[in-house]
Amino acid sequence: MRGFEYVRATDVGSAVALVSGDPGASYLAGGTTQLDLMLKDAVVPQGLLVDIGRLPLRGIATDGDVLRVGALTTMEELAADPVVAERVPFVSEALLAGASTQLRNMATIGGNLLQRTRCRYFRDIAVTDCNKRTPGSGCAAVTGAARMHAILGASAHCIALHASDLCVPLRALDAEVRVEGAAGQRTIAFADLHVMPGERPDVETVLRHGEMISEVLVPLLPAGTRSGYLKVRDRVSYEFALTSAAAALSIEDGVITLARLALGGVGTVPWRATEAERVLVGAPATARTFLAAAEAAIQDPFTVPGTEFKVELAKRTIVRVLRTVSGEQS
Amino acid sequence: MTALDRVDAPLKVSGSAPYPSDFTLPDQVHAVLVQSTVAAGRISAIDTTAALAAPGVLAVITHENAPPLADLPMTPLGAPPRFPFKDDRIIHCGQHVAVVVAGTHEQAASAARLVQVSYETAKPVLDLDDPRAEVVDNGWGMEVDVGDAEAALSSAEITYEETFDIAPEANNPLGLFTTLASWDSDRLTVHDCSQWPIMTRQALATAFGLPESDVRVLVPYLGGGFGAGLRAWSHTLLAALAARVVGRPVKLVLTRPQMFTSVGHRARSRQRLRLGMTGAGRLVAIDQESTAALGAEEDNFSAVVLGTPHAYDCPNVATHDRQVRLNIPNPGFMRAPGHAEGNFALESALDELSYRVGIDPVELRLRNFAEVHPQSGLPWSSNALRECLQVGAERFGWRDRSPVPRSTRDGNWLVGYGMAGVTFGWYAAPCRARLSILASGTAVLKAAATDIGTGTYTIAAQQVAELLGLRVDQVRVEIGDSDLPPAPQSGGSGLAVALTGAIQVAAANLLRALLDEVAADARSPLRGRRLDEVTASDGRLHLIDDPAVGEKYADVLARHGLDELTADGELDLAAAAADAGVAPAGAFAARFAEVRVDEDLGLLRVTRLLSVVDGGRILNEKTARSQIIGGTVMGIGMAMFEEVAFDHATGRVANATFGDYLIPVNADVPDLDVVFVGGPDAFSPTGVKGLGEVGVVGVPAAIANAVYHATGRRIRSLPITIDQLM
Repeated sequence: MRGFEYVRATDVGSAVALVSGDPGASYLAGGTTQLDLMLKDAVVPQGLLVDIGRLPLRGIATDGDVLRVGALTTMEELAADPVVAERVPFVSEALLAGASTQLRNMATIGGNLLQRTRCRYFRDIAVTDCNKRTPGSGCAAVTGAARMHAILGASAHCIALHASDLCVPLRALDAEVRVEGAAGQRTIAFADLHVMPGERPDVETVLRHGEMISEVLVPLLPAGTRSGYLKVRDRVSYEFALTSAAAALSIEDGVITLARLALGGVGTVPWRATEAERVLVGAPATARTFLAAAEAAIQDPFTVPGTEFKVELAKRTIVRVLRTVSGEQS
Repeated sequence: MTALDRVDAPLKVSGSAPYPSDFTLPDQVHAVLVQSTVAAGRISAIDTTAALAAPGVLAVITHENAPPLADLPMTPLGAPPRFPFKDDRIIHCGQHVAVVVAGTHEQAASAARLVQVSYETAKPVLDLDDPRAEVVDNGWGMEVDVGDAEAALSSAEITYEETFDIAPEANNPLGLFTTLASWDSDRLTVHDCSQWPIMTRQALATAFGLPESDVRVLVPYLGGGFGAGLRAWSHTLLAALAARVVGRPVKLVLTRPQMFTSVGHRARSRQRLRLGMTGAGRLVAIDQESTAALGAEEDNFSAVVLGTPHAYDCPNVATHDRQVRLNIPNPGFMRAPGHAEGNFALESALDELSYRVGIDPVELRLRNFAEVHPQSGLPWSSNALRECLQVGAERFGWRDRSPVPRSTRDGNWLVGYGMAGVTFGWYAAPCRARLSILASGTAVLKAAATDIGTGTYTIAAQQVAELLGLRVDQVRVEIGDSDLPPAPQSGGSGLAVALTGAIQVAAANLLRALLDEVAADARSPLRGRRLDEVTASDGRLHLIDDPAVGEKYADVLARHGLDELTADGELDLAAAAADAGVAPAGAFAARFAEVRVDEDLGLLRVTRLLSVVDGGRILNEKTARSQIIGGTVMGIGMAMFEEVAFDHATGRVANATFGDYLIPVNADVPDLDVVFVGGPDAFSPTGVKGLGEVGVVGVPAAIANAVYHATGRRIRSLPITIDQLM
């Protein structure tokens, strides 16, 4: 039987050293994804697991207009934070729309950012064609039973979705992640953290082996800015998004002065709708503007038969979330 | 109607009810299955070297080294599944190709990944329309051809023709199917997730060439079955085979993904339905054809159209039942097989026609009510379908709806009401029950029936208590053991009728035996009395006319030096039905649904669901209601969520987890209202009718019909998903 080693880290430095020094090592935090992938589905090789669960990286603090969130803060803790509820409510909404209470009490914020795709072709070792697991082997999902898959940033190489809800508002907010590595500490813009699959879907983030997210810096929205997260899925609860959208708007005298919009359920990475934001800012907060923004948001989608509907659904999701956030009674 | 708590509830809620996977035997080892990753072809080589060398591994069994097993026998529910270790052929993805036995489960699972299987692959047949697919016509001889449907269709005032599609669904009982097999020289004992111990015993005995008396199948508790436990699946045989090979008890627990490919599913089906109707809303012709998927080299009962011929009064009915053999895991029975699918088409079509002829959907069903059984012309043994419809319409507030589709809006939501009628089939199989009175004055019932979560323990105890005049806690029910008197499967909604009927016969025989015992007993106040003169209450038998004249069971047994007094009862309702002069009826029901649809986002929510059910005499309102509620939730799943996604190219199940295969969560299920109507059935000896399956039937049509009423869109394929509604 192939075994794995387990070490409980006592401080950040030694944890980083342990993982950095062993190409087969990985971090274990909440374990809600990693244990499945390694032990149940066996799609990642077994190796040294460095449990960072008890490191002092848990907690939430306000630092001016930035919320500093320890990487080991649980999803449930962040969702319940009063500052989050007041200043960036769509972060709380996104968290509570994800997983289940039991999972949210285990899963960590750092882990959520680095969660692996739910693509069933990636997660089944009986499938041999998976560029994400075996570079160059192809993609069985493209011709397969795709539905929970990406249409933006996707290609025939890979349509695996980044399924995080939390990452959608964080992407809209231009959050940052603080990272500890063997070479020291660095800060990475959220926009730079996740890497589009291109021809190397196996490369998912800019993190070097051994680097560990220690903190997430969440900019708070200016007072008076409203935000909302809308998640569209088949059942009411406990399902990943078919489409989702996180929006923040400031509106003065009927004109949009600030717009943040990011999308979930559609991208190979958490997706910022920059073009749509451009359409929104300076425009009147009307249905016509929202529709134009939605059109601008979904450009050059890559679809397969099972995901074609997401193009229209994503647009409607955007329109709806903008209508709701703008205060239009719906 | 009583509403007694389940007698086994304390055991279940305290975690002490022993399910098959809870048993552990001394010296037990563990087996893990290796499955084919291709859907068609043959195994060109299996390399087990690495697996055999792995820690703890005791054996790796493949088709190359497996001791041969005899072919399984035919069952009353059709041919047994194909045993995959017979040869090197692969007929579906997920087919069992090797079983690894090791000291621990983890060792076996790890070694299973080291088994190297090479395949010579063939292009699998995966599509119902693939011209290469073998077609089975009328495989179950259940097609009906009454009158002249073609002629009636061509002359009908109003005609209708549409096609309906239903996705394959997986039974997915929560309890992972488990087999724990142990041999004691040539005697085999198996704990198994069977809904039918007698069938499993026969299959194992035949496969291993043993007398049935040397095989014992135990299933005191089952974590759900929904039809998955009605066949002798290969994992059961393989566990027994592995135990024989290693000479130790072997436990084999299927994984959740393996549950999707190893224990059957509701076959994908497509139906073409043609109806002819008068302008006054009377059916004049029904022609229903179904095409359902079937496993390659397999047989499986899925007569989708079986419920239609007796659902309504219609002079011209033709049904056609086709099955197409594909390289998919063998379908099986899934709760209300055939009925759930056929009803969706028929009740959707009637809804469509109600709008065309301008007759209220409830009224349309009432106009076509079958006063007598449509084919035999015999009076029904019971039929409260009319009452189901009327009570349901009243209780639901059906008349309050604006009949025009798309006419009710609440913010982003369109609101709609829909309903469906339900006629379930009648099924009966022979059953025996053994009833004893012990010296303590308490009773024991024994039968090889199972309680698959439906409440068999409870209603059996209630029935014995009532007939023998005891309290329920004075009755011990022993079931789930093939050594006990043979009982039919928990399936087909036939067990409650058969078992309570057999208990009634056994109770009469037992009381007769008691009277015989005291016939010449000078000290017995009951000496010389006949059965029809006595009744039982408070643990004693006494005269009907003079309750003071009688005595306690315990006193009789004590005086006669008996440890127990036992009698068997046997009932064969199917045989009795032939000249009963009535048409034995199954359950009837009406379902009423209220839905909300957000058309922009394609969201569908069920906000109210009412079931009005004629289940004959209701022995226990609580367990009966639970059956309807559970079935209704499953019906919501069928209507809105469930679909086994077979990969188009490889036949692999692409969503074989509970994260990916959607079933309703609590938030998807509104409060479910259940009402029982009707009275005791005239043919069923206890007045009882089966209720285990009818709860599913009609829910998809009621929801689809409500979607139409809400939106003006007719959805004829299940599940109804966002992409269809937006």
